[in-house]
Amino acid sequence: MTPIDLTVNGERRTVPVGDDDLLLDVLRELGHTSVREGCGVGACGACTVLADGHSVSSCLARAVRYDGVAITTADGLPTDDDVVEEFVAARAMQCGYCIPGFVLMGHELLAENPDATAAEIDAHLEGNICRCGTYLEIRTALQNVVARRRHDDMARRRHDDMAKESA
Amino acid sequence: MTATLHRPRDLGAALDLLADAGDPMVYGGGTAVQILLKQGVLFASDLVDIAGVPGLADLAATPGGLRAGTMVTLRRMETDPLVQDRAPLLAQVYGRVANPRVRNTASVGGNIAHGDYRLDPPTALLVLDARIELSSSAGPRHVPIREFFTGFQETAVRRGEMVTAIDVPTQPLGGAAFTKLSSLAANDWPAASAAVLVTASATGGREVRIGLGALAPTPVYVAVPVPADASADDAVDAALAAAEPLIDPLPDVRGGVAHKRRLGRVAVADATRAAWADTPRDTPREEVPDDRRLTLRRLRRRH
Repeated sequence: MTPIDLTVNGERRTVPVGDDDLLLDVLRELGHTSVREGCGVGACGACTVLADGHSVSSCLARAVRYDGVAITTADGLPTDDDVVEEFVAARAMQCGYCIPGFVLMGHELLAENPDATAAEIDAHLEGNICRCGTYLEIRTALQNVVARRRHDDMARRRHDDMAKESA
Repeated sequence: MTATLHRPRDLGAALDLLADAGDPMVYGGGTAVQILLKQGVLFASDLVDIAGVPGLADLAATPGGLRAGTMVTLRRMETDPLVQDRAPLLAQVYGRVANPRVRNTASVGGNIAHGDYRLDPPTALLVLDARIELSSSAGPRHVPIREFFTGFQETAVRRGEMVTAIDVPTQPLGGAAFTKLSSLAANDWPAASAAVLVTASATGGREVRIGLGALAPTPVYVAVPVPADASADDAVDAALAAAEPLIDPLPDVRGGVAHKRRLGRVAVADATRAAWADTPRDTPREEVPDDRRLTLRRLRRRH
């Protein structure tokens, strides 16, 4: 066993891992059961986590390679996370098994491309599979996050401008 | 029996392991190797994890193009401005591999060393005339990509060697396009793919360079001269005539021979038509200095 330094959702800890241990199993054993195994070959996205902000299929990732890396899992997102809220508002899930993966892929996409179009959302999520088939609602949810962040951004800027003028 | 994992901290140690271990396998991005291990079809005695070897993930401009270290991720090839500027076709094609998570992890060296005939990146690397650096404890050697794929799932990588870098010349002026046709999911292995680059030929006309994926037991390459004043239809006919003898599909769950042959024709025709249309009438033969090229591209992008 090799001790690795893993920061999960902002909490740093030292975890002993075997050479063959998958990040998926290590995270689940730490209690992060929003990380799920689906296909086991990196094709469905249920096991998605963000590693230093980049999406990774944890079912194909050896934990020993993630020493010193900051991991984000869906269960570590704040309760008022805008992506989660818009997924709920758009009723973008039935069974919910795949949703943590979709939510994290959405976060990655919108961090890189805040103005993502429907086509860009589809392209980024093409490797995530939902057996309930709520793809249209998932796309709507992410479009709503784009609109919401744009709106919040404009409101913030207007507020800043007004503050500057009155100063 | 599980393979022993080694995590060397420098290239020399990694190459020594490849030379001395019984049946070693390089562990790069790990996406393909990990799947093969899970499926129980990879029988390596030792896995040499090269993630900790300094320098292998470097991506840099060179006087004639760019150089990607073997551990550069596919996603970086897709998104890095250097690749987008100097070899936009290559950036486009890397962006079509599998899904973003695989591209975040998979490496450029491991991708080609995997040697699969359906890979996307070789189609662009073939038309761009890339060069592969292979290293062993005896030193490095270089293999043109057009000689790299030697047979079904076989490459020029010898025992004790690994891919350490890919050198890609700056994309010549002219049009380029990539077409990928899948029978199952959009991000599944293609049933047919074609990268096409139209450039000025030595004889004053144009050259249509064609790289094919999934249509033969290896990725394959062919180039055909076409007069600069030819119509798009004539260019497509010339491309199809050149490509057709190379199309030798393997039947599988994604389609039979006739189906894939048909898709192959569509891929070549579509990519050629798009690349031909995107080629300015007065495409010069002379290589434009890199700095001017970048400006041209940036100007074009702004439109």
